[in-house]
Amino acid sequence: MATVVEQQQEAVTAGRGPTAGSALGAERALLRFLEPHFAGEGFPWTQLWGYVGSLVLTFAAFGLVIHHLLTPTALLGLVLVLAAGQASLQLGVFMHLRESRGPAWQVLPLGLSFAIGVGMIVASLWIMAFKWGVS
Amino acid sequence: MSSIPLEGAVSAAWPEAHTPEAAEALPLEFADQEQSIAITGFWMFLVTDLLIFASLFAAYAVYRPMIASGPSAQQLFHLGPTLLETLLLLTSSFTVGLVVWSMRRGHRRAMVGWMVITLLLGAGFVATELHEFFGDVALGASWHTSAFLSAFFLLVGTHGLHVTFGILWALALLIQVARKGINSITARKIYTFSLYWHFLDIIWVFILSIVYLGGKIG
Amino acid sequence: MTPMPHFAVYLIHTLFPPDVRRPTEIGADVMMGVVAIWIFVHMTRHHRWGWLWHEWFTTVDHKKIGVMYLVAALIMLFRGGIDALMMRTNLALPLHPVISAEEYNEVFTTHGVIMIFFMAMPFIFALFNAVIPLMIGARDVAFPRLNAVSFWLFAFGAALFNVAFVVGGSPNAGWTAYPPLTELAYNPGPGLNYYLMALIISGIGTTITGLNFLVTVLRLRAPGMTLMRMPMFVWSALNTSALILFAFPPLTVALLMTLLDRTAGTHFFTMGGGGMPMMYVNLFWLFGHPEVYIVVLPAFGVFSEVFATFSRKRLFGYDSMVLSMTAIMVLAYGTWVHHFFTMGAGPAVNAFFGVSTMLIAIPTGVKIFNWIFTMWGGRVRFTVAMLYAMAFIPTFILGGATGILLATVPADYQLHNSYFLVAHFHTMLIGGTVFGLLAGMYYWWPKMFGYSLRESQGKLAFWLFASGFWVTFGPQYLLGFSGMTRRMDTYPLGLGWHSLNVVSTVGAFIMGAAFLILVYNVLWSMRHGVRDQTGDPWNGRTLEWSLPSPVPEYNFACLPTVGERDAWWGVKEAFRRETGADEDAAPTPQVRAEDIRGLHLPRNTAYPFFLGASFFVFGFGVVFTWWIIAAIGFAGIACTLVYAWFDHDEHLPMPADEVRHHEATLGRLLA
Repeated sequence: MATVVEQQQEAVTAGRGPTAGSALGAERALLRFLEPHFAGEGFPWTQLWGYVGSLVLTFAAFGLVIHHLLTPTALLGLVLVLAAGQASLQLGVFMHLRESRGPAWQVLPLGLSFAIGVGMIVASLWIMAFKWGVS
Repeated sequence: MSSIPLEGAVSAAWPEAHTPEAAEALPLEFADQEQSIAITGFWMFLVTDLLIFASLFAAYAVYRPMIASGPSAQQLFHLGPTLLETLLLLTSSFTVGLVVWSMRRGHRRAMVGWMVITLLLGAGFVATELHEFFGDVALGASWHTSAFLSAFFLLVGTHGLHVTFGILWALALLIQVARKGINSITARKIYTFSLYWHFLDIIWVFILSIVYLGGKIG
Repeated sequence: MTPMPHFAVYLIHTLFPPDVRRPTEIGADVMMGVVAIWIFVHMTRHHRWGWLWHEWFTTVDHKKIGVMYLVAALIMLFRGGIDALMMRTNLALPLHPVISAEEYNEVFTTHGVIMIFFMAMPFIFALFNAVIPLMIGARDVAFPRLNAVSFWLFAFGAALFNVAFVVGGSPNAGWTAYPPLTELAYNPGPGLNYYLMALIISGIGTTITGLNFLVTVLRLRAPGMTLMRMPMFVWSALNTSALILFAFPPLTVALLMTLLDRTAGTHFFTMGGGGMPMMYVNLFWLFGHPEVYIVVLPAFGVFSEVFATFSRKRLFGYDSMVLSMTAIMVLAYGTWVHHFFTMGAGPAVNAFFGVSTMLIAIPTGVKIFNWIFTMWGGRVRFTVAMLYAMAFIPTFILGGATGILLATVPADYQLHNSYFLVAHFHTMLIGGTVFGLLAGMYYWWPKMFGYSLRESQGKLAFWLFASGFWVTFGPQYLLGFSGMTRRMDTYPLGLGWHSLNVVSTVGAFIMGAAFLILVYNVLWSMRHGVRDQTGDPWNGRTLEWSLPSPVPEYNFACLPTVGERDAWWGVKEAFRRETGADEDAAPTPQVRAEDIRGLHLPRNTAYPFFLGASFFVFGFGVVFTWWIIAAIGFAGIACTLVYAWFDHDEHLPMPADEVRHHEATLGRLLA
């Protein structure tokens, strides 16, 4: 499915008049990064493996917590890592993150909002802890 | 007055429609330029919705120690129902993946079947959650009790309302597919519904990890 | 008493408590009633109701929606301005206050809310709607119907907010509405509920607008218009839309939590039950700081267009402009604590956010230099739009410098909530945003309406407005240094504040006069303004000036192919090289008949209007916690949405011949 991106790039290069080379180079790299990708196969193997994977991750998280296998901080960290793995699994396998017509524009805002969301939670905890003294 | 002929008249209806040969290879919901734009728009909705939940998570994280005279997370939560809810939602995420898969292969009856299964799993999730909520309230742990419980009910309740809305949406989708069949518009709606449902699954995974498992870790 | 009169008494007491029966309120009611009757009689006599409904209220055309936003923004500017003048009058007469302390609280609250949410935001959306699709070579926005939904949610949200001072009482906790002042126990009337519901409803509309323009810019650009060929105003729309999507959720959540505290007995921001009032402040400014950039980035975009056009030069440092604007967009999320340094989150937190705030000065400084270098060596024309742009530069430098002072944590502990702060953010919001929006209005007015605003009157308004601005806010910096705090309704004499306050009030009235001249300018130009025959009155650089004014419903008869930045200027340059015409030659672009194909226009629909109206009913029910009315409104919302969801008939085909005919009457069909 690279054709759509190629067409976009054609449109980039086919222009008349002077162009800013470096900026367009950056844009071309961006478009390559956002190149769409469609999944398609005869039996839903991807979905099936995704489902199995999600179950494994879930049971791993539950098992770790029920048996208190680590110190609380490490446990919470590991559970969050498993959750992040689960989220990328859902995004990649089921949501076909890069399916798009033309560049997959959803990737950048989604990544940015995820970063801002995490920043919001961590910073709120930090700010509302009212820790006096230089940490 | 002087005039210039304007060069490069290309497209009839929408821009980007100048790539027809690429469009033919795309699935139905992307082959129609307008529907593919609607899908981009739906992704952007998910972006804001993600930040709604991030704000609720921020509030929950800050309020978690603020239990006033009420129970703490460790005392309140039971992992049994939580595991059931998780399995229901993960399975429904798998079946909604099969909805899109069978839609793309043109198996309309299989698609409707998987959709109905998804709906039932979603309803099971909502029922389990409501049962848990009513149990908490019966123990005197309502959102009047403490800031921790206010934040808990708002965060988990917002997710539950999303799932409930998703079930109503899927019912309406089934009616529309029965009336109009699979065309580019209904295909797009089913595709965006699947995005929405997977998205709720992702949010649930974080609720599970931060609220329930995090609560048990202490 | 029988139950019926009981109920009537209850109703009158709830809807018309003493604080909406003060002389100023009744005076305003009478004035509004007279205006409403006049409009009704006028509309009926000229049989304009059908026209209003079919041409405007049900429209999904981005150009008309832009006009409606503009009208709403100017009306709200009037109301917010009246609020400002009432405050300034009070402060000039400390011995004889004209309004009471309670009324003063309401007036500064509504002034702030209206100016930010119901003046600046719709003004920005007016400009976006008017020109963004034209600048990128598109037929409409990505979702024309959602665009109308946005407008009506905004309009009914604004209506709900303005109803407050007639029915039930205005909110009085400041535009930031900090708890515990907003908790039910300390603020029992419906005023705050009005604030919460109005902002939630219009906030949904704003979020949809952000989504719409983000997708429009990403997906609907004409062939060849790559990201790095987009006009700066389009870049500002892209960044603003992204900011809206990321910033409004925390506000919605904070407002919802306050509403739940007030109506459902939760404990988010209460003093008891483990609630934390400061968490509201944290969430509010998570939205509030990006909001500052939401209202100022579009102004940056306007200035970039205006400086380039009226200096007859390419924008200097386009790449660095794009980079700095995107940097501001991202950095905007890392600075919000500087609004509440005095909360005392600790030295580490305050130091971090102080430094991150100062970082923003770097990309902003880059932009200032780029604008100055754009004028350098150019042939500058002093139009009204250009005057506003040039007045912006020193104002914004002052605002930026005082912002750096406020970002310095120890200094902020002295200056927090003083008139220094008031002066600082008005410098940014008037000198940045309002100057930018007025520049944009004068610049794109001929494109929107087909005639120009008279320059001489506009220049008079400009000089009064800009000088009135300095007279108003210059003294306020000094007042801040002498310890006057914000939101005080009066003060004792003998503190050395009186003369400075009088000067400031005089300045405010000068700005009020400027607004009246601006309105006169618009009304005069409606009748006598110069028709724009060419579609390109300013010798512009971007695609919107290649179209006739006003723009036909379908925008582009055939979509342009873009080969460079400043695409329209490039076409004109090529034309001038070929024909040897001089730089002021205004050629009419023409299209070949065979290049025109049939197209689809979005079909008008009434559901956005009914959706907005249902939200209004729902909001009104929640404000008074009359749940039956709220349920009726909610049912209306649900029915409208279901109806719209099942309606797939969104397009109105327009045959090629009709387009050709229309182009021929415009003289734009190549023979």
